[in-house]
Order: sequence, then structure tokens, then C-alpha cells
Amino acid sequence: MVISMMNERVAELNLGIDMTQEIKQNGPDDSGILDVTYSETVGEYQCKDAKFSTRDVNVYYANNQAIFDVNLDVGRNEVIALIGPSGCGKSTFLRCLNRMNDTIDICRIDGQIHLDGQDIYAKKQDPVLLRARVGMVFQKPNPFPKSIYDNVAYGPRIHGLTKNKAELDDLVEDALIKAGLFDEVKDRLHGPGTGLSGGQQQRLCIARTIAVQPEVILMDEPASALDPIATAKIEELINELKENYTIVIVTHSMQQAARVSQRTAYFHMGRLIEVGDTNQIFTNPRHELTEKYITGRFG
Amino acid sequence: MTEPRQLIDGVILIYGTHEMSISALLLLLAILAAFGFFIGRQKIHLQYKKQSNKARINTLPKYFGYVAGLAALIPALILLLVLEVAETPWINHQISQEISSAQLPSGDDLDLFLNDIKNASTESQIAALSDEKQIIHGHYQRIVKTTQWAKTAVVLALSVLLGLWSLKKINTATRARYLFEKTIEWLLLAAASIAIMTTVGIVFSVFFESMRFFGDIPVVDFMFGTEWSPQTAIRADQVGSSASFGAIPLFVGTMLISFIALLVSVPLGLMSAIYLSEYANRSVRAVAKPVLEILAGIPTVVYGFFAALTVAPFIRDFGESLGLSVASESALAAGLVMGIMIIPFVSSLADDVMSAVPQSLREGSLGLGATRSETIIKVLIPAALPGIVGGVLLAASRAIGETMIVVMAAGLAANLTVNPLEAVTTVTVQIVTLLTGDQEFDSAKTLAAFALGLMLFVTTLVLNMIALYVVRKYREQYE
Repeated sequence: MVISMMNERVAELNLGIDMTQEIKQNGPDDSGILDVTYSETVGEYQCKDAKFSTRDVNVYYANNQAIFDVNLDVGRNEVIALIGPSGCGKSTFLRCLNRMNDTIDICRIDGQIHLDGQDIYAKKQDPVLLRARVGMVFQKPNPFPKSIYDNVAYGPRIHGLTKNKAELDDLVEDALIKAGLFDEVKDRLHGPGTGLSGGQQQRLCIARTIAVQPEVILMDEPASALDPIATAKIEELINELKENYTIVIVTHSMQQAARVSQRTAYFHMGRLIEVGDTNQIFTNPRHELTEKYITGRFG
Repeated sequence: MTEPRQLIDGVILIYGTHEMSISALLLLLAILAAFGFFIGRQKIHLQYKKQSNKARINTLPKYFGYVAGLAALIPALILLLVLEVAETPWINHQISQEISSAQLPSGDDLDLFLNDIKNASTESQIAALSDEKQIIHGHYQRIVKTTQWAKTAVVLALSVLLGLWSLKKINTATRARYLFEKTIEWLLLAAASIAIMTTVGIVFSVFFESMRFFGDIPVVDFMFGTEWSPQTAIRADQVGSSASFGAIPLFVGTMLISFIALLVSVPLGLMSAIYLSEYANRSVRAVAKPVLEILAGIPTVVYGFFAALTVAPFIRDFGESLGLSVASESALAAGLVMGIMIIPFVSSLADDVMSAVPQSLREGSLGLGATRSETIIKVLIPAALPGIVGGVLLAASRAIGETMIVVMAAGLAANLTVNPLEAVTTVTVQIVTLLTGDQEFDSAKTLAAFALGLMLFVTTLVLNMIALYVVRKYREQYE
């Protein structure tokens, strides 16, 4: 189905079809398509002031390898977008950064991932404290079945971030203001969080994450379940948040990546193909696969 | 079509000259319905064939068959049911009509008198009856036979008539699928109402018997009396058996034992549910869950002797070593064992509802830096609360209704105490002791069982309502 649609599109554009035929013949597991062109990541994957720094990361689900030798730095206070076709490993890579993959029994990770120079997979590293430093926003809004207030206060309460009720109130209000939700919900802070619209729920989840005052926010396709207006609000919010946070965002929308990020990393079949300034990636991609993806020839 | 003559031959063949059997009548109805089905289907099949401009999609002929078959079957079945119910009163009425009223006793005794006659079926039994009764027996036999013939004839006639009528009426324009669908709907409704009607029936029967009891014993004495000793004096001059029917000791006993049982089962059940749904890996879960559920399958009498022979002596010895005086049958022993028994009710339901909480909520909590136990306490349990309360409630009603363990391990003495080391008794145990053995059903002692049953029913009903209220008030809805 997908392949046939792809072929149609290729035929319409009257462009070279060798690569799509390769995919069709070999199936997605075969790396033959990459052997020709892939030697190593194109572009500068290192940063001068790296918040996250990953080297030779390999991820396996039981016997299937999902990520191959990924090297990538995330700069301090930058927004980096991870793009690529479905199943390319971008979400898996994202979930390695706050050890969310620990919750999956069959998942195994090799290589080094450092946050501020500290190995986050070191034995003495507590994954729970790591997740307080590296917050996460999910694809589908997942507010807890509690009041709006309790949703935002959840993290601060768990980590004991405030001394008394007044401080907690301030923290909750502050987080809601930063998430651009306060004006819409200030009259019903104690109403259920699940009663909000989808876009509001997602901003509530962002407020919930901000309330823990993390250093990095991971976003896994945060707008994919939302309508264009709600998406615009989320993107606006990301642009405001980047003043204070390092943000790693996985997205399916290339326009979104172009709008919100400074750097973009293109993943393909578990490999990091190219990374560079967002402008450069979208205007002047250096790798053949990146070019084909961003011009919409597959994906 | 079947020849009417053949049909009647068939009826005579099956019934012979002997008593009619209901199963034979049902079989005949089934055959008639089957005829209706096949003929109806064939009729429409032929009509479709003759049609010149066929629609692309038509109702399948079998639906017309169902309509005809059901028309032959269902009204006849309902009529049969009504006639069955009306049969006995009708026969009694007929007998009283034929025989001069002087010969017959009146009121309640009439049933007793007729029972002798009705039960006599063999020659020797008939011979054993008094002359007077033998004459009536003759009448009775005749009336029964005519009644049953009439019943059979009416039911079969209705079946045949409606079957034929529907066969004549159906054509390709009949909305057969709609009619079939409606019949299914009514059938399902009937199935659902049987359960409801049974419950209502039980409630009413318990209620009316209880009213008879409360005619003898004032409600207030029963509900607030603190002494329970149901032995009534059978003879007027008997000493030492002045009955008192204070239900308080029984309810306190029931509550005490149920409370101990819940104290054991709720924490253990919840914790094992949490372990199974959140921590255990797949292979542990695959083994542990069924094993835990086996607990629910052990007969209560086995738990009973485990409680009486192992747990109760252990508690007594242990208590004595601490210098406490413990009865050899104690509420504690029964409650502990009952608690173990109802663990699966709590754990199985709680496990199911916790597993049903979406993974995204767990990840949301973990992603904020919560530990697994924080996630469970603050997110999962609140989200799963209605199901958990449901499980606890189920366990509580099991505990309140449990009888066997208490009979064996807690004793029969109606002590008014909240000391779990003493022997107590429960409502259900007393109902059993009141109703076992030969009993006369008009003494207060026996009727007390119904009053206890009614009180128990009301208690569990109130518990249910409280639980429903709690669930509705505190539930956290997740999408």
C-alpha cells in the first residue's frame, strides 16, 4: 500500500526510481540501500557546549537492532529536531535520553550517553532523578485523571520542591503561565484535567513537565494528535521555552522542524544520516537520502 | 404439509393412553416449528425464483423460515407456560366442584387432603387409601386426564393455526429480518428478566415469611435485642426455654468475622495484585495468577476444617503462651482463614482494573521522575479505584455470606462480644441451625431464619449502595 503510493508519487514527478525500487525489493530490514551511500553521519554531530553527548549508541529490542552507532550532541539551550520516516528509530533514540526504555524488558542499549559529562547509564545513576532533570512530553496528551492543579503539582509534590501550599500555588501558576494555559484554566484549576480539549491537555502536560524545572525537555511528536490551531500554539510555546530549556523534539512534520528547531538530525533505518543547521538541512541537504526525504519523495 | 390425521395419530402414539408428558409436547412443538421453518423458507425461495427483476440484495429465505417457525413455536410455548401454572388450581377447583363440600376439608387442609390422593399412583398406594379417598381418586384421575388432553389440544392447535397463518401471510415484501431481529430482542429481554424476577421472587418470599415472624416477635426486640436463644418451649409446662430473638449478637459476630477477613484479604489481595500487574515479569505472572485463583476454587468446607483443626488450636496455644485466654473456637481463626479464602476476589479484580489503566499514564508519571511505587499509589490506584472497591465489595459480601468456615471454626455460641479471641456465631450459621433437621414451619424459631435472611439482605444492599456512592464520588475518569 505505502510502496504503491510511493511509486505513484515517484512516477508523477517523473524522477529516478532506483531507490524506491530498492526498498520495494529488499524490504525495510535490508540495509543494502544504505551500503551504497552510507559510510558515516554527514555533517557536524559535535557541539562546543554539549548538554547531551551520545557516542556509538546501539539499541536492540530482543534480537532486532533498532539503532546503529549513533553519535550526536545536543547543544545547551538549543532546539534539535529529529526527523525521518516511520520506524527510523527517532523515538527510540529520544527515549534513550531519559532512560524511558528501561521500562521495556526486552530493550538493551550499548554505547555512551552523557548528560553534562555524566554517563546516564552508569550504575550509580538513578533513572528517577535523571527523569526529573530530563522531562518528557508524549505523542498523545496523557493528563492524569486528576484536577488541573493536581496534574501540575504532581512532580513538585513528588520531589518536594516547595515548602508550603503558597509556594506550590505559585509554582503551579508559574508553570501554567509558561505553558500558555493559565488564562484559559484559571477559573477551573480544580476541575478535571481530562475535561480540557486536546490542545489544552497537551499544554497541561507541558506545564506538568515544566513544573519539575527540568534542564532538558524531550518531546515525542507533541503535536501529532492535534489540529492546526492547537499545533501552532504548541510551536509558539516551544519557541518561548527554548530561552530556558534544551529541547529535543521528534516530529513527522518537516515544516514543524523547520519552524521550531535550530539543528535537525535526519534518521533513516536506525542510522543517523545527516545532521546540521536546520536551514542548511532544508535548503541544502548534503546527503542523497536527506534530500529525497525532505523533498517528499518518500517517508 | 402434514396431514392432520397423521398428526393426531402421532399425538396418540406419543401420549398413548398414559399420562401426557411435557417433553413429548415440547418435541411436537419443535417439530411443528421446524416444518414452519422449512416450508416458509421454501415458499420464499420459490417466490424469489419467479421474480423477473431481481433486486441485487434480498433478505435471505431463511429469515422468512424463522418467522414462520417462531410464529408456530413462541405463542404456543407461552400458552403452555400459562396453562401449566393454572393447571393445579383448576384441578383443585374442579374436584371441589364435583364433590360435595361436606366431604372435603377447607382452607389449607384441602391441599394436604388432595396431596394424599395425588401422590397415590401405584395400585397398592391406591388400595391403602380410605374408601372415601378412593372415590375421589377416581374423580381426580379423570379430571387430570381431561385437563391434560385439553391442554395439549389447545397448545397444538394454537401452534398449527399460527404456523399456517404466518405461512399464508409471508411473502417477499414481509420485513422478515426486522421481525426476526425484534424476536431476538424480546428473547434477550426475557433472559434478562428471569434473573431479575428470581431476585424479586426471593425478596418477596423472604419478606412475607419475615412478616409472619414479626407478627409474633416485635421488630424492635429482634433488631435491638442483645440476647439470642431461639429455643422455644414446645409444651406449655416446659422449663428453661423462654426464647429470645435479639439479632444484635449475630450481626456483631458477622461483622467481627467479616472485618477480620477483610483486614487480611484487602491488603494482601491488593498487594499481590500490584505485584502481579506492575512488577512481575510475564513468566511469573503466567504461573502466579492461576495459582492464586485456585484459592477461590477450594471448597469452603476444606477451609473450614483447616481453620478448625490447624489454625484455631495454633491461635489458642499461641495466645496461651502469651497468657491470654483464647476459646478453642475463635472469631480470629475463622476470620483469618476466611481472609485467605477471599484474597483472589480482591486480587483478581484489582489486577484486571490496574492492567486496564493505559500505559501512557504510567509513562507520564515515570517521565516526571516518579518511582514505580509513587506511580502506583498516586496514579494507578486512584484511576483503578472503582474496580478495586468493586473487588473489595465482592469480597465483603462473600465474607458476610460465608457459613461453613464459621460453623466449623468460630462455634455456635451467640456471644455479644468484639473480642476476636472468643467464640461467636454469625447470621448465616444461625439460619443453617434454625432450618436443618425436622422443623415446623409455623414456629417463631423457624420463621426467625427468614427474618435474619431479610436483615442480611438489607445489610448487603446498604453496603452496595454505600460502595456505589463512594465509587461515583471518588472515581478518576481516564479516557
